[in-house]
Amino acid sequence: MSVHTEPAVRVTGLTRTYHADGEPVHALAGVDASFQRGTFTAIMGPSGSGKSTLLQAAAGLDRPTDGSVWIGGTELSRLSETKLTELRRGRIGFVFQAFNLIGALTVEENILLPLRLAGARPDRAWITQVVDRVGLGQRLRHRPSALSGGQQQRVAIARALASRPEVIFCDEPTGALDTNTAAEVLTLLRAIVDEHGQTVVMVTHDPVAASYADRVMVLADGRIVHDMPQPGADRIAEHLATLGRSRAVTR
Amino acid sequence: MISLATRMLRHRPGSSVATLLALALGALILTAMGVLVESGLRYHPAPVRYAAADLVVARPDTTFTSREFDGEIYRSTVALPEGGTVPAGLAGRIRGIEGVATVAVDENIAVHTGAGTPLSGRGWASAVLTPYELVDGRAPANDDDVVLSTDPVPGGLDSGVAPGGAASGGVSTGEAGRARVGEQVRLVVGGVLRTYRISGLARGNGNAAAVFFSDAHAAALAPHRGAVSAVGVIAAPGTDLGRLADQVGQVAGDTAVLRRADSGLAERSADGAAAGLLIQVGASFGGYVILLIVFVVAATIGLSVRHRRRDLALVRAVAATPGQVRRMIMAESALVSVFASAIGVPAGLAAAGWLTGELTSRGFVPEGFPMAPGVIAAAGATGVILVSAVLAGLLAARRISGIKPAEALGEAAIEPVSAGRVRWISGLVALTAAGSSAFAAVAAGGQTALGAALGMLYLFVLAVALLAPWINAAAARLLAPLLRAAFGTSGYLAAANLRANARGAASVLTSLVLAVGFGGSVWFLQNNLERQAVAQSRSGLIATRALVTGAGLSDSVVAEVRAVPGVRAATPVRNTSVVASVMGDGEVIGARAVDPAGIDATLDLGVTSGSLADLRDGTAAVSRTQASTFGWDLGEKVALRLGDGTPADVRVVAIYEHGLGFGDVVLPRSAVIGHTATNLDDQILISAPASADVALREIAAAHPGAALVDTGTVTGGLAKDLALSAWLNRLLIAVMVGYTVVAAANTMVMAALARRRELAVLRLTGVTRRQVKRMINAEQAGLLGVAVLLGGTIAALTLSSVVRALTGNLVPYVPPLGVATVLGGTAVLALATTILPIARLLRVPPVEHIGVRE
Ligand SMILES: Nc1ncnc2c1ncn2[C@@H]1O[C@H](COP(=O)(O)OP(=O)(O)OP(=O)(O)O)[C@@H](O)[C@H]1O
Ligand SMILES: [Mg+2]
Repeated sequence: MSVHTEPAVRVTGLTRTYHADGEPVHALAGVDASFQRGTFTAIMGPSGSGKSTLLQAAAGLDRPTDGSVWIGGTELSRLSETKLTELRRGRIGFVFQAFNLIGALTVEENILLPLRLAGARPDRAWITQVVDRVGLGQRLRHRPSALSGGQQQRVAIARALASRPEVIFCDEPTGALDTNTAAEVLTLLRAIVDEHGQTVVMVTHDPVAASYADRVMVLADGRIVHDMPQPGADRIAEHLATLGRSRAVTR
Repeated sequence: MISLATRMLRHRPGSSVATLLALALGALILTAMGVLVESGLRYHPAPVRYAAADLVVARPDTTFTSREFDGEIYRSTVALPEGGTVPAGLAGRIRGIEGVATVAVDENIAVHTGAGTPLSGRGWASAVLTPYELVDGRAPANDDDVVLSTDPVPGGLDSGVAPGGAASGGVSTGEAGRARVGEQVRLVVGGVLRTYRISGLARGNGNAAAVFFSDAHAAALAPHRGAVSAVGVIAAPGTDLGRLADQVGQVAGDTAVLRRADSGLAERSADGAAAGLLIQVGASFGGYVILLIVFVVAATIGLSVRHRRRDLALVRAVAATPGQVRRMIMAESALVSVFASAIGVPAGLAAAGWLTGELTSRGFVPEGFPMAPGVIAAAGATGVILVSAVLAGLLAARRISGIKPAEALGEAAIEPVSAGRVRWISGLVALTAAGSSAFAAVAAGGQTALGAALGMLYLFVLAVALLAPWINAAAARLLAPLLRAAFGTSGYLAAANLRANARGAASVLTSLVLAVGFGGSVWFLQNNLERQAVAQSRSGLIATRALVTGAGLSDSVVAEVRAVPGVRAATPVRNTSVVASVMGDGEVIGARAVDPAGIDATLDLGVTSGSLADLRDGTAAVSRTQASTFGWDLGEKVALRLGDGTPADVRVVAIYEHGLGFGDVVLPRSAVIGHTATNLDDQILISAPASADVALREIAAAHPGAALVDTGTVTGGLAKDLALSAWLNRLLIAVMVGYTVVAAANTMVMAALARRRELAVLRLTGVTRRQVKRMINAEQAGLLGVAVLLGGTIAALTLSSVVRALTGNLVPYVPPLGVATVLGGTAVLALATTILPIARLLRVPPVEHIGVRE
């Protein structure tokens, strides 16, 4: 099965430099990583370490300064903005850290937006299942402004799942959720990996959330500093703690 | 996409209302102007004077042909200001053609009643062309006979037998001005008061009361020599008119052979002149307004798109292609423009109705002129609005669709400060173009001057619009210490905002500069033109008295005046027009024809080179502005056409300053004899001591309708004439200035309301409401200062270069009250449109706004 030997997402030599007020900020300083199909990866690291930047570059939302991103067999840097969008539309789902929804549209319309933009017919049964999973069956006709932060985040997850993408990127999907809802969302993500063979890459600060993943990558100052298969919440916490201490010492 | 666009619009009613307002007002103005143009273009004069003629041979217009760069032949046709003529001998040749039953020549002879009412004077032979039929008496047989039409004559007829004498005015004949056969009637014909016997009365459908002379007498009185206004042909029954027209055409040479339906074109009527005016006014102002609308619409739509960057970036991130986002924005703009047209077009039609009423009551357009319903105008305005909105949408969308979707995730909606190099370079190009057009010679004439001013103004505003991000950033840096000193912490915050928002505030700055620049220049242009025209006329008139009349003065009057003891000089003046071609387009230029003898003692045209003493047949003097517009030099031979279309190649023998007061071309009177509609003088300028007044007044009394006036009164009359056309200019300029003001107000309210989140954050971090208000005041003060400075500079540059080109004065006249109005108006505008909306935002607790996405 050659298909399975090819990772769902692969990044090589990824750098991203921002120029804010003339001074360069190296948000990513050379990242190599691949994410196999049917796996659930958590990316952790201190604030400002480049997690969101990595996720956006890998999802084709941002163009890296250098390096390349492969989604399956496609290299993204060669694609035009339109081709890139079309690829994202079919194969990638994204849940942003904040400000995820379009205020003008209802919950349901927000969920169906990518399909609508693609001109695709929604798979009703799947959508119903997704909506049930995120527990928003009663709120479909509401505007995002009437939802709580956690509910908005769940709508965003439902939207990312709606087109059954190969890879789903989530930027702190449970950051604003209570423990129970967070557990539900994480179980949902775990299930789509296990039951549907999809690939999930999730940024989180929560070791408990990370323990749902198959693998945890830790980022610091734009580099991968740890890459652990199924480490368990305790080990993750420990690693993060050492990271914090060593950073404190180096300063 | 459309339904998504609709949803997005409904979610942000504020900015769509602003765009709607800008577009609807644009549609209103365009529709109103369009109705004028459409009415003018669709006006087709109904046959009246030649209603009974099958064919009319005439020359209503003149055509200029030129070869364009690509070798195409370009034709420009202009209606002849004095009416064209055809050779008198043509009638004889047409008479020989088979199928011709009747041929009659027609001439219009200037006839006035003793009370000054103009009558239509014709030869009896031409009566069949209308037709007029005798109802009483018989046709005029000798020079003393006239046939009067049965139409009532306003003011009555002067029988001449009343005991009061000539000077005491006319006594009406019969009841209600109706004449009886055999009575005597006194008429001013060819500028001379004569007594005729009414030989008959005729009834017909003319558009004015007519008086018919015997054909021999008519020929003697006719204004043209060897030529006539028109030749009418009545065909024998059963003749193929198409063939006949061809045959007549072969004989007629280059004159027009008009069929019955078109014969109205051969008549000179007030309606025809009004149609020309409507086209000119509507088209020129419509043209200026289109540019303005494009500016305003681009600014408003640009701003509304900018305020939704976050939403649009999110749509991009959620998998919309750049093309889809572009289409969505364009669909949105199209949608708003359709609504705007639905509001603006009916309002524009109503405005056109009002305008027609005003134009009619002020005498620009005759009563009952057929105004078009405006169907084409409405469609045209809708089209223009739609296209400019969609293009503006495309422009704004191009900027936004280039956003990387990742920007949607950024917490702050602050955009990159650096604007593109292309923008910088285009801005510099626009600035250079504006600067050089300010130094280039500017075209002359009321309307054209406005055009030149507006062209320059638009270039300057375009430059400001393009360079606004840099201007704002530089201003913020320069103003920071000032604002901090004046407003403390609030000033510090204001400077920071101005700097961070340099690009976002570009639209606001542009619309403020546009309003100040417009208000400060075109509005005052009219003042300058009027003042200058009156001043030139006053300083240029050396003559102390003038004999003026509406009925025309015959040759003999000049001789009479010159014979009065004490009269040093008398200069007869004819107001006429000539036609010349500028870049292939025929253009009518106001001209005066004068007798150069003794002109030094009556007129001072401000000759700068050459001399009026050289003025004789085959020469002309031209005003400085006209010479520079057409590129004529002293001694150059230029191809003019007289008002009746006769070619006149003249050598320029003098160039003078006072073009606004006296017209742009001065010809020797001998050159236009037989080439004007009446062939009479309009006034005689007299240089004489007061002792001559009695004798002069006697001459005036002998010519009903004429009056001896002080030359001060002549200039007063000029001012009144100018004020009339100024009313129209003022109205249209006011509409344009008003539109820029509304647009500026619009963008500022939009910009203010878009700041609710930012202000909420400030208040939550502990900035008090008072401090926020002071911060906004400080920002407004900064922005306003920059706008007034730039707008004022642009206005001053524009105004002074146009005024200099027109009048030679470098310093334009600006009424102090006008300056106060412009400055005060802008300040009030800026405060009312920002401070009030902000105050409203501040009344709501900040937490309610914090969740609102920008
Ligand atoms: N648009 C931008 N312009 C300039 N610098 C940026 C921009 N976006 C991110 N950065 C910088 O890049 C670095 C990485 O940012 P990133 O958002 O990836 O961090 P993160 O790991 O997601 O942090 P957090 O956990 O707080 O979300 C930070 O130092 C940040 O300041
Ligand atoms: Mg992040």
